[in-house]
Amino acid sequence: MSTRVTIDPITRIEGHLRIDLEVEGGTVHKAYSSGTMWRGIEVILQGRDPRDAWVFTQRICGVCTTVHAIASVRSVENALGLEVPLNAQLIRNIIVAAHAQHDHMVHFYHLSALDWVDVVSALKADPARASALAASFTDWPGNSVQQLTAVKEKVAAFVKAGQLGPFTNGYWGHPAMKLPPEVNLLAVAHYLQALDVQRKANQVVAMLGSKTPNIQNLAVGGVANAINLDNPATLNMEKLYAIKSTLEEIQAFITQVYLPDVAAVAGFYPDWLSYGAGVTNYLAVPDLPTDARMTAFDLPGGVIMAGRPGVQQVTSWNDDYLKRNVTESIARSYYDGAWTRGPWEGETVPRYTGDWKPESPAPEKYSWVKAPRLEGKPMQVGPLAQVLVGYLTGHPLTVKYTQAAIAAVKAIHHIDLKPAHLHSTLGRHAARAIRCAMLGELSLKHWGLLAENLGKGDVSTFNPPTFPKGEIRGVGFHEAPRGVLSHWCVIQDGAIKNYQAVVPSTWNAGPRDDKDQPGPYEASLVGNPIADPKLPLEALRTVHSFDPCLACAIHTHDADGAEVSQVKVG
Amino acid sequence: MARIAVIGIGNVLEGDDALGPTVARTFEAAYAVPADVEVIDAGTPGLDLTAYLAGLEAVVFVDAVKARGGAGELRVYDRAGILDRGPILAMSPHEPGLRESILHAEFQGVAPATILLVGVIPGSIAFGCQLTAAARAAVPVAVARVKAELEALGVPVTPRQPPLPPDLWWERPAG
Repeated sequence: MSTRVTIDPITRIEGHLRIDLEVEGGTVHKAYSSGTMWRGIEVILQGRDPRDAWVFTQRICGVCTTVHAIASVRSVENALGLEVPLNAQLIRNIIVAAHAQHDHMVHFYHLSALDWVDVVSALKADPARASALAASFTDWPGNSVQQLTAVKEKVAAFVKAGQLGPFTNGYWGHPAMKLPPEVNLLAVAHYLQALDVQRKANQVVAMLGSKTPNIQNLAVGGVANAINLDNPATLNMEKLYAIKSTLEEIQAFITQVYLPDVAAVAGFYPDWLSYGAGVTNYLAVPDLPTDARMTAFDLPGGVIMAGRPGVQQVTSWNDDYLKRNVTESIARSYYDGAWTRGPWEGETVPRYTGDWKPESPAPEKYSWVKAPRLEGKPMQVGPLAQVLVGYLTGHPLTVKYTQAAIAAVKAIHHIDLKPAHLHSTLGRHAARAIRCAMLGELSLKHWGLLAENLGKGDVSTFNPPTFPKGEIRGVGFHEAPRGVLSHWCVIQDGAIKNYQAVVPSTWNAGPRDDKDQPGPYEASLVGNPIADPKLPLEALRTVHSFDPCLACAIHTHDADGAEVSQVKVG
Repeated sequence: MARIAVIGIGNVLEGDDALGPTVARTFEAAYAVPADVEVIDAGTPGLDLTAYLAGLEAVVFVDAVKARGGAGELRVYDRAGILDRGPILAMSPHEPGLRESILHAEFQGVAPATILLVGVIPGSIAFGCQLTAAARAAVPVAVARVKAELEALGVPVTPRQPPLPPDLWWERPAG
């Protein structure tokens, strides 16, 4: 008898996500991912000035604000063939990098750590032993006996007050929890410190973008930052140096805390280096352009098919292969028809065919999410895609931090990992930490490039756009924290005619397609163990490893469709 | 460094979900407050709200809330009312952001001592950039309540002469 486990929506931050699992003999046999991603942006944008589009797209999702703003201006610039002054590229790049670092840290410490860390177990930890353990693999000054004792007391006070605060929904004492008390204590200490570092990353975005979460400084053709190195009202020397020192503080935390923490956790959960691979086709786009014409990039892009080592490199945002081969299928989605089309021809005509009834086979249409495909194939996107592309093509920075992660696991656990272990649930966490460290190094590099260019006397930040008569089309690519984001626009006589956003979570969380090929979430869950269908922690580990921009609740049903339990998870 | 903040929460592309940002921007256009009081249209930041709370003495959230009652009616909650586990999940479309951000800030020891939520019951939350009539009628009522709550906190709130037009850019028609 199979057990059906349903992970169901409760939040509307970006959209709902629901996961249905068929569990047999303690293992997931089939998985279905369905959800509502925000839709209708093209309806709101039709007829508007393309220069205003980014202000609207920034509001698609309150957590991914910056990424939708960046992709939108790039889309219109791409349609116009408009160059962007070097200063503007570099300012955008520093914003992009700081935003992504913020996002990656929040994901690990605040959204997914509770899948692996047992907070209550930290009460059994010996702070002196925890401090000594930490000293064996990192120089971070925040692991003193005194500091760890204070954290332990804080947890004890919360538990005593019967109020675990943000941790109330953890799976305490679940048999799948494996960290020793000392590692749990270190993780809680770093969770607290990460809140502080996350604020610093936000400050960098605010210093350049003038506000978070909704930045104000973008423009089609550049940025609106006024630069005068001696003027206190503009971007000046003092602000530039404040940005630099903040970027350095963030990078210290990432290399001395985040990356080693992921390595420490991973070594205690070696099984999870083999579960959760799923779709091993990967897509990443290049990002962090280093010139006005966008011909050179510091983050690598490429396509990997079926986990094979041969990488088809993507070196340009004008890559014809991508423009011709990205499609979306609506065969299994609540839209009218069953077509597969490129985004420029895409449309959004809802045809809701009813909810999936409990304990019945999956209906033909079961999700509001479309199913993006490349050459007809499902693709996994996200930090893992980018790290694999970089590692396999010998991108020096990717190789450096991938090897650093492998060395950290070896130092802490005496386990030899191979890059092949990255195709897994924990591999996605490791790749995110690796990418975060790469971004830290690159944000400082781009800060240096900006200072150097300003030093030459170039203070230009904006090339004004001119819209031609007739129809033009553009695509704006961005390698966002959750993976490849693309905004596709069609502009007619200077006004928006069509606009489609193909977002990372659509690639990863999308449903089956016209050929019944499962999407990455669906494929990655198959084979995962489920020790207790009432507490399906393992399924959450895999879904969370993709960093879905949403929260969900789990409903577990027995074979008759009666609800056994409901567990809310953040 | 801000001491007190008014934070409007909501998605301006989702009909009456724009209530929080609309009230925050309308208040800011109508009234001047001292430099240590910040008025923020935060969108739907989820857990990122924690960063805005850190170090504040008091915060007044404005948000669309699901509660019993008619569209456009005001509901004001204090910290206990926001955190009370029962109603909160059904209360705001932005869970887990609001409640969990408060808890994260408290665990870290940086949460404001005073936390208030001025809630408005929405008419319709569906994609689109206009408020329903009931929600629009509630905006001045909510703005007055925000003013009263700030004054109760000892903040001088001065009407702007003349008032500025609120920047509700999402309501501008296309073309």
